[in-house]
Amino acid sequence: MGDSPEKSGSGGKSRIKWGDPFTKGRAAVESLAAILRYFPPHLSSSETPATSLLHDPDVATQISTLLRRPDSGAVNDNLCAWLYDTFHSADPHLQLVVLRFLPLLAGVYLTRAALNKPLPGFESVLLAIYAHETAARGGAATTVSIPDLAHPSVYHENKSPPAKNASSDLNLAVITPGLEPHGTVRSTRRPKIVGVALELYYSRISLIPVGSKLDLCDFCRVWSGHDAERADGRRSRISLPWELMQPILRILGHCLFRPAKNYDLFQAAFAACQCMNARAQHDMNAKAMLATASLVRLAQMDMDPHSDVDHTELPITNEISV
Amino acid sequence: MTGGQLSGSAQPDKDPSVRQFVANGVSMQTSEVEAKLDEGNIQEAESALRDGLSLNFEEARALLGKLEYQRGNVEGALRVFDGIDLHAAIQRMQQSLGDKPTTTTTKKGRTRSELGSVVSQNATNLVLEAIYLKAKSLQKLGKLSEAAEECKSVLDAVEKIFPDGIPDVLVETKLQETVSHAVELLPELWKQAGHYTEAMAAYRRALLSQWNVDNDRCARIQKAFAVFLLYSGFDVSPPSLAAQVEGSYVPKNNLEEAILLLMIVMRKFCLGKAKWDPSVLEHLTFALSICSQTSVLAKQLEEVMPGAMHRIERWKAMALALNGAGQNNSAIELLRKSLHPHEEPDDIMSLLLAAKICSENVVFAAEGVKYAEKAIVNALESKPHLKGVGLRMLGLCLGKQAKNSSSDSERSRLQSEALKSLDSALALEPENSDLTFELGIQYAEHRNLDAAFRYAKQYLDATGGSMIRGWRLLALVLSAQQRISEAEVVTDAALDETSKWDQGPLLRMKAKLKVSQSLHKDAIETYRYLLALVQAQRKSCGALASAPQVEDGNANEYEVWHGLAKLYSILSHWKDAEVCLGKARTLKEYSPETLHTEGVMHEKQGRINEALAAYVNALLLEPKYVPCKILIGSVLSEMGPKMLPVSRTLLSDALRIEPTNYMAWYQLGIVHKVDGRIADAVDCFQAASILEESEPIESFSFIS
Repeated sequence: MGDSPEKSGSGGKSRIKWGDPFTKGRAAVESLAAILRYFPPHLSSSETPATSLLHDPDVATQISTLLRRPDSGAVNDNLCAWLYDTFHSADPHLQLVVLRFLPLLAGVYLTRAALNKPLPGFESVLLAIYAHETAARGGAATTVSIPDLAHPSVYHENKSPPAKNASSDLNLAVITPGLEPHGTVRSTRRPKIVGVALELYYSRISLIPVGSKLDLCDFCRVWSGHDAERADGRRSRISLPWELMQPILRILGHCLFRPAKNYDLFQAAFAACQCMNARAQHDMNAKAMLATASLVRLAQMDMDPHSDVDHTELPITNEISV
Repeated sequence: MTGGQLSGSAQPDKDPSVRQFVANGVSMQTSEVEAKLDEGNIQEAESALRDGLSLNFEEARALLGKLEYQRGNVEGALRVFDGIDLHAAIQRMQQSLGDKPTTTTTKKGRTRSELGSVVSQNATNLVLEAIYLKAKSLQKLGKLSEAAEECKSVLDAVEKIFPDGIPDVLVETKLQETVSHAVELLPELWKQAGHYTEAMAAYRRALLSQWNVDNDRCARIQKAFAVFLLYSGFDVSPPSLAAQVEGSYVPKNNLEEAILLLMIVMRKFCLGKAKWDPSVLEHLTFALSICSQTSVLAKQLEEVMPGAMHRIERWKAMALALNGAGQNNSAIELLRKSLHPHEEPDDIMSLLLAAKICSENVVFAAEGVKYAEKAIVNALESKPHLKGVGLRMLGLCLGKQAKNSSSDSERSRLQSEALKSLDSALALEPENSDLTFELGIQYAEHRNLDAAFRYAKQYLDATGGSMIRGWRLLALVLSAQQRISEAEVVTDAALDETSKWDQGPLLRMKAKLKVSQSLHKDAIETYRYLLALVQAQRKSCGALASAPQVEDGNANEYEVWHGLAKLYSILSHWKDAEVCLGKARTLKEYSPETLHTEGVMHEKQGRINEALAAYVNALLLEPKYVPCKILIGSVLSEMGPKMLPVSRTLLSDALRIEPTNYMAWYQLGIVHKVDGRIADAVDCFQAASILEESEPIESFSFIS
């Protein structure tokens, strides 16, 4: 995706002309002001419009309300058109604003898609994100080559050359298979398209506000169909193939053990992991069972007050000496 | 107060329960100094110390700061530390320690220098420790960036003083202790301060430079870095190539580097070099499961030393890991061990997993039924929410067991029990769409096509059409109902909803639907398209072909060539058929299917002996290969009355394996007819005709 100042909303609505980041940010703020019922005035004069949009709680609340409306995601949904245009601005800060609402959008979308309701508004945004990621990866699969300690590495104590029997090939793990372009959401590709969008979300996750991650934790409980606190939870249970499960679990891992610990987020992610673990057990999905059980146990260890030994504290003695 | 008084009171007793200063062979109680500090008289406290213990200014301040820190008065500690120019002191240390040229030369010189440097070592340590405590104090006050800068200056100083790394002789000293603490603290401080780039650099510096950090601490730092890499979501650039040995493993991204570090820590545990920390294994489990590399995880679990993990926990985790990697035979062996009466025979998850594995294999199905039944009983007591899973597994195992049963009555009993079980499971978990699908398959195999149709449609709706297998089931059920054109409409709709790479099985079905309507040209077109697709797919993921995650149910090139061969054989295009069969053989040298087609081609061209040879060879490869049993039976039935009993045996055998095979019934009817048992023949023809009317274009077991 270049910097070409083009693209209209899905319904051929007012075109946004893009320029430098500041102008782009201003344009996004102005067009959003026309959609929201109340718009915080300070945003219009912000020197960093994209960042202000990302972190503004009033904007978040209103967009969330709009996304949750029963008629959201339709072909004439202004907000979806705004999200679509804003993502196409190609400005990373503005794209982050769109990604910030991805959990909610994907959450509402996946829950409703099972009802065979056409949701072109939501789909246009998801496809824009998917296309961006497909282009960024050149369509290639993302892989991880699994280390094998027979091969030396910088972290080996003994830096000797590889042993003779170390010629074994490394295990190549495919995280996400190759991506092909999609102009529409074909139903069998729905989990993959949403999954790839969530992978992009994960790759920017350290920049995304906590509120957005709380949304995702909340939907995990709904999707799992195993939320004890939700009577209607069962009805919103969705299929969770690995292409969707995998990015979700990575996001939950971040919510639990990110460097800047946040109590609310930790608790929300812990609850979400427990629900996902129950779901994995019901699906008898071994990989998901292992991953979720580990997250749950790690979170429990983290909550154990005895685990909090500070190894960087010098020993306290009564003899204070040189 | 004079120095004499102080030293007098300090000399005699060294009561360990009383806090005291010790320096230069003299000790002194801290109480009086504490009193001065409490009054805010830092200078008086300092001079009291200097006089009493013959210390210089920096040393006295450092001890005072240490006292304040230990008393928990971090602000006071900072005030004391602020009074001294630590950096000037470091420079002096550098000169006194670093300028000594003898540290690495002769043995004699080295000893002398070691003795000579003990004093300056202590002084160095005192200063470094003071800076370290300053960093800790700042950390406690939440001034994290400042703390990190101070901590970093400790390491910078050490690197300047010892440019070749800390000499081994210092390992046991207090200096080393301070350095080790600083090495561990620095990345934590940057992390807490939110400076992730600096944190990453500090982790690498801690792990890649020679700090002589002990194994436990090194393992802790490695784990902390791995956790940072795994969960921070902060993209770290890989370690530089400069430090790499040829042929070494170079991590390219966060996940790879995290897994490498965790594996190295695990190795340290195994060798008894570092203290076992269960969280390391949990992080590694998470990381490897996320990459679907649970076979690697199984190996890691195998290496965990005994005692660190309970054996049953290890077996269970390994069984899951092996099951995740598709190594079910090894997985079930471990589960049998852990479900042994002397171990944990009532563990629900083990029972359920064992039942699941057994449900996928005809040979184990009966064993799986026992596990599932036990799981249901135990679920009632401890985990009622798993009862549905138990019933589901029971249903699947019974359904599988039915396929292998020797008598008709036994089979239909098992089948109806299977359906009952799945129905009860669905009643408990009405939203579990997998159950709907499995019921659809069971009813379809039971040839209750109306029910199968209902569940297939329900599954397609519940999943919003997102699962290809839902489309396939519906189309197959329709084909079994002989609603061929509707089956084609569903297949076309499914093709519309599927991206190119996943269309293989749908195209294969479409080709078979065309064949069944005798639209051979269309079928050939479809196969050709499918072939191009499969070949393009193979090329595009050539590099990943060895990856263990091949998508299930996808059509492969062998199947396509074989399908074409069969098609040309139907059309009596023998040359084309030969070519296709040859291609299929190059992809799969020994297969009963190709021998089967080869035999059919011989037979159609009147070469009965060659045909028989091919059929027999197919059975040698796969003794339960039903189509060739039927064909041999059919050929033999035409060889005169002597061969009829053999033919009959073969056909009965085929029917025991595949009771719904209409061809077998039909041929058996012929044998009865030739043998003069007309009533039996009529029964067989009737069965054949009913079954033919409910024959899907390919087996239902292709989908699940």
